[in-house]
Amino acid sequence: MKVLSPYKEATDVILEAGGEPLKLCYQCGLCTGICPWNLVRSFVVRRIMHEAQLGATDFGSEDAWTCVTCRACVQRCPRGVEIIDVMRAIRRAVASLGIGVVPDALRISAKNIAGVGNPLGEAPEKRDDWAKDIKVKTFASGTEILYFPCCIPSYDPDVKTVARSTVTIFNKLGIDYGLIGTEAKCCGESIRKAGYEDTFQSLAQNNINLFTSNGVKTVVVSSPHCYHTFKNEYPELGGKFEVIHITQYLASLIEQGKLKLSKKINKKVIYSDPCYLGRHNDIYDEPREILQSIPGLELIEFPDAREDGLCCGGGGGRIWMDTPKGERFSDIRVEQAVEKGADIIAVACPYCVLNYRDSVLSMGKAETIQVKDISELVAEAI
Amino acid sequence: MEEVKIGVYVCHCGLNIADIVDVEEVSKYATTLPAVVVSRNYKFMCSDPGQNMIKEDIKELGLNRVVVASCSPLMHEPTFRGAIQEAGVNPYLFEMANIREHCSWITEDHKEATEKAKALVSAAIRRVYYHQPLEIKEVPVNPNTLIIGGGIAGIQAALEIADSEHKVYLVERDPSIGGHMIQFDKTFPTLDCSACILTPKMTSVGMHPYIELMTYSEVEEISGFVGSFKARIRKKARYVDEDKCNGCGVCVTKCPWKADSEFDLGLGERKAIYTPFAQAVPNIPVIDTEHCAYFLKGKCRACEKFCELGAIDFEQVDQIVEVEVGNIIVTTGYDSFDPTPITQYGYGKFDNVYTGLEFERICNAVGPTSGKIVLKDGSEPKSVAILHCVGSRDENYHEYCSRVCCMYALKYSHLIKERTDAEVYQMYIDMRCFGKGYEEFYKRLSEEGVNFIRGKAAEVTDRAINEDEEGKLIVCGEDTLLCKTIRVPVDMVILATALEPRSDAAEVAKLLTITQSADGFFLERHPKLDPVATMTEGVFIAGCCQGPKDIPDAVAQASAAATRVLALISKGRVELEAATAVIDEEKCSGCRICNLLCPYSAISFIVDEKVSRINEVLCKGCGTCVAACPSVAITHKQFTTEEITAEIEGVLV
Amino acid sequence: MSFEPKIVGFLCNWCSYRGADLAGTARMKCAPNVRIIRVMCSGRVEPAFIFQAFQLGADGVLVLGCHPGDCHYAEGNYKTLRRMALLEKMLPQLGIEADRVRLDWVSASEGDRFVSIVDDMTEKVRALGTFTQNSEKEKHG
Repeated sequence: MKVLSPYKEATDVILEAGGEPLKLCYQCGLCTGICPWNLVRSFVVRRIMHEAQLGATDFGSEDAWTCVTCRACVQRCPRGVEIIDVMRAIRRAVASLGIGVVPDALRISAKNIAGVGNPLGEAPEKRDDWAKDIKVKTFASGTEILYFPCCIPSYDPDVKTVARSTVTIFNKLGIDYGLIGTEAKCCGESIRKAGYEDTFQSLAQNNINLFTSNGVKTVVVSSPHCYHTFKNEYPELGGKFEVIHITQYLASLIEQGKLKLSKKINKKVIYSDPCYLGRHNDIYDEPREILQSIPGLELIEFPDAREDGLCCGGGGGRIWMDTPKGERFSDIRVEQAVEKGADIIAVACPYCVLNYRDSVLSMGKAETIQVKDISELVAEAI
Repeated sequence: MEEVKIGVYVCHCGLNIADIVDVEEVSKYATTLPAVVVSRNYKFMCSDPGQNMIKEDIKELGLNRVVVASCSPLMHEPTFRGAIQEAGVNPYLFEMANIREHCSWITEDHKEATEKAKALVSAAIRRVYYHQPLEIKEVPVNPNTLIIGGGIAGIQAALEIADSEHKVYLVERDPSIGGHMIQFDKTFPTLDCSACILTPKMTSVGMHPYIELMTYSEVEEISGFVGSFKARIRKKARYVDEDKCNGCGVCVTKCPWKADSEFDLGLGERKAIYTPFAQAVPNIPVIDTEHCAYFLKGKCRACEKFCELGAIDFEQVDQIVEVEVGNIIVTTGYDSFDPTPITQYGYGKFDNVYTGLEFERICNAVGPTSGKIVLKDGSEPKSVAILHCVGSRDENYHEYCSRVCCMYALKYSHLIKERTDAEVYQMYIDMRCFGKGYEEFYKRLSEEGVNFIRGKAAEVTDRAINEDEEGKLIVCGEDTLLCKTIRVPVDMVILATALEPRSDAAEVAKLLTITQSADGFFLERHPKLDPVATMTEGVFIAGCCQGPKDIPDAVAQASAAATRVLALISKGRVELEAATAVIDEEKCSGCRICNLLCPYSAISFIVDEKVSRINEVLCKGCGTCVAACPSVAITHKQFTTEEITAEIEGVLV
Repeated sequence: MSFEPKIVGFLCNWCSYRGADLAGTARMKCAPNVRIIRVMCSGRVEPAFIFQAFQLGADGVLVLGCHPGDCHYAEGNYKTLRRMALLEKMLPQLGIEADRVRLDWVSASEGDRFVSIVDDMTEKVRALGTFTQNSEKEKHG
């Protein structure tokens, strides 16, 4: 008979990789009950915590790579366990110590990021190609704002519109902004969550040096993931900048009367809170304020909005990994939106744009519903 | 002055001290210090042989100062002071060095600990050298007692004291005494009817010749000190003359205006003139001016018309009553946690999600459903889920365990099983059945067929995913023993809500100069050895205001507090703080700075002599005036500048 | 061997001293550098005691009282607060670095807070090194 004995060495590996919070877990199972995976398949978060406590973690299991880091569990954990930190520690143990298997798709993205500074494996010098036909400035000392669009809007042909809309708005309003150029690299948020700490450190150092040497004081970002790491993780590494998410920035321009939205968008719009904007950084109102100031637009809500909002499935490195049909959160979200009678799903995160657009296409709903980033909607309404 | 002869005694405290501190070295070191005649170390200084060792040395070596290096003076200072007093030395010619709590228990570094112990002993020796004998004065104790809060704890304490023929003022904020207990239906684990065991006590309180019951009243101000407190109490206007009313209730019957019943937590209604429940003590109604048509619109007065005794008095105003007491017992109870912020449990959103206390009222024969366990639509539930730890053991709300919820959840399961055919599901994290007969009760409920699911419920939803779930409330979570997520469709959900500190606990604490612990409940003087006393002499706490507890524990604490009060009453006098401040009138310049600083107004200016003088009875010995006197005219006995300076010198050796 | 600073702690009897006791009772580990002198109220602490402590070889002085509003003697700690504010202004003139003197609040239930204050202060004073008085500095300088 196979008997389990606690294996302290395995626990120690996880603890050393930053899994310290696992000690606090008292096994109530609330995390499992909340985890969105259990809407589509079994994922017993609590058991992962307990296995880690006893050193019984199966480093070869796909469980290590499942968590989307949406923070729904952490937000309500009665012991305040930073469950994401534990998941990340297990991944670090696998990725850096080689004691398990990294899924192929993730390994390729990690290689791309480490090699060329973006997960798509595109050429660094093409980073600003999305803006080729638009007049954009290069950031120079004294420029007020650095606009940092995130790798996906920079390279992905379907999401480029997010960045293009943003600079269109900026140009119309005469905002003093610039792009940092092709030396910029991926912010590193997701690759860090995927366990590649060294890669993250080198990306962060590259960007911090680049920003600092150019005299950047304020960064406006399109991605909540860039927002999260610039705001909460870079300062510890010496990168202290004012970080503003595009929705915060646009909402403040509207409030100051500098941005006036006059064109009507007579549509029913449902807003999906990105995890890294909402639960991770408590930004819930600004995106809604922007949408509500678009004339003709009717804003409706998902049954589980704001703090309870369902993840698109793209966090924690999952954006690079394939999720089989039937297990995609974004499919559930699109269904919910259609059921609510929405014409447009509005989002504020490039990962969400990518996932929801994929879902709409694969579900054959392109006729019924569209997916738009808030910056795209604003560019239309201006 | 006679020659100072100091004896030093270093305690091992078993291994508590000796394991870390080199006690031998510390006691040897003490002999090198001036005026030390003898220095010994011993396993347990607080034991009889330890104390006798000191007493014998006093007799044989003529010691006139004693230093004990052991635990915190808050533990054993009274013990050793008593010992040297028995041997004929003034108890104030004593000093303790705390080499346990502040030394051996906070570090594992033997060398540092021993060095620190030496420093603390040296400080105590240098300090005690200057100690002067102090005289302990006594003042009489007022034999009356004030009890704040008329729940089970307050009732118990009041009866215990009053039965010994000492006067009690029992102040209750609500129109009747009874507290939470009178709202309950049954009590665990014996299933006694709560009202049946409580109402006889309530009646006794109402009729007791030694209890002056003040309901619908609140304490507004407390002044004075142990033995002689003064309390200012506001008796809110009832608009019913208590002397004339005979409690016939005709006014209530005739009143045409209704409001939500607080007693039934809004699940039922009451009139604008009402007694909260049938067995209320006193059985005298109050008029709720927020719902009375006369107060709102200036007409009606139906109650007045029908009252044959002319007891309705619309002109009544709040009264201020001042009472003098020697002791105070605080029994202000708890608030039931409001689960609205835990949105995922759907309280307030779904009709059939109830708090624990609401379900008590539903079970109660005189409650809103006359004791029938029914859904909002009047039908009987076929299944009920009870969710544990709602607001407890959850750092988003209260980190502590509320101690009673597991048991009341079992009690509800029993009542549901007894009165309906419903299946009962309990979602728990850990079953905590620690009391007498509690585990047995848990076993009994297992036999009755209650389903136990180990896991904290994640959500209550009405979104069905199959036919069985249609029209139900679905409780979702993980069954942690099966490692599977589960969905339990039920008709009714009961949230086992936490007990939390009263929302105004901070104000009450301030009123009485007592403190709150980190969880917000009132802090006892010692968590184990002095659980009903507070840092303020003469103020005691009992029941749930000190922390969540069940009825037997609340009653035990109330009796304990009553006993403490009776001990003081029986002794008849309290010792005044001997370590007070005195003003050297020769040095006093009459600047009056100290007059304003004293929090007890103990310092007055003698106009004729142009000096300030301290009333020793009022002085509590804080020393604030001493530190502020520009003429250095004030001495703080036992904390003189000389003594403190010597101590500073000592700790820095 | 690393430098072990000597810190004199004046703790009020009702809150802070009990908080320190609780740290011990709960066996929380804590820098042993603070030597505690018990006063009934932090209001008893004269600025002169603090200067004396430095004269007699202390490297730091810690004064702990009840939280504002929680004073056993109603308001003694407010007096301390005001007195310490004045004292802080005098420290530079006497060549005493601000980090060597600290006033803080610890309640009877805050053993953990006591430990973190003591550890924090010990590290700060350790970083400053031994205290030598201005007059001595001049003499030697």
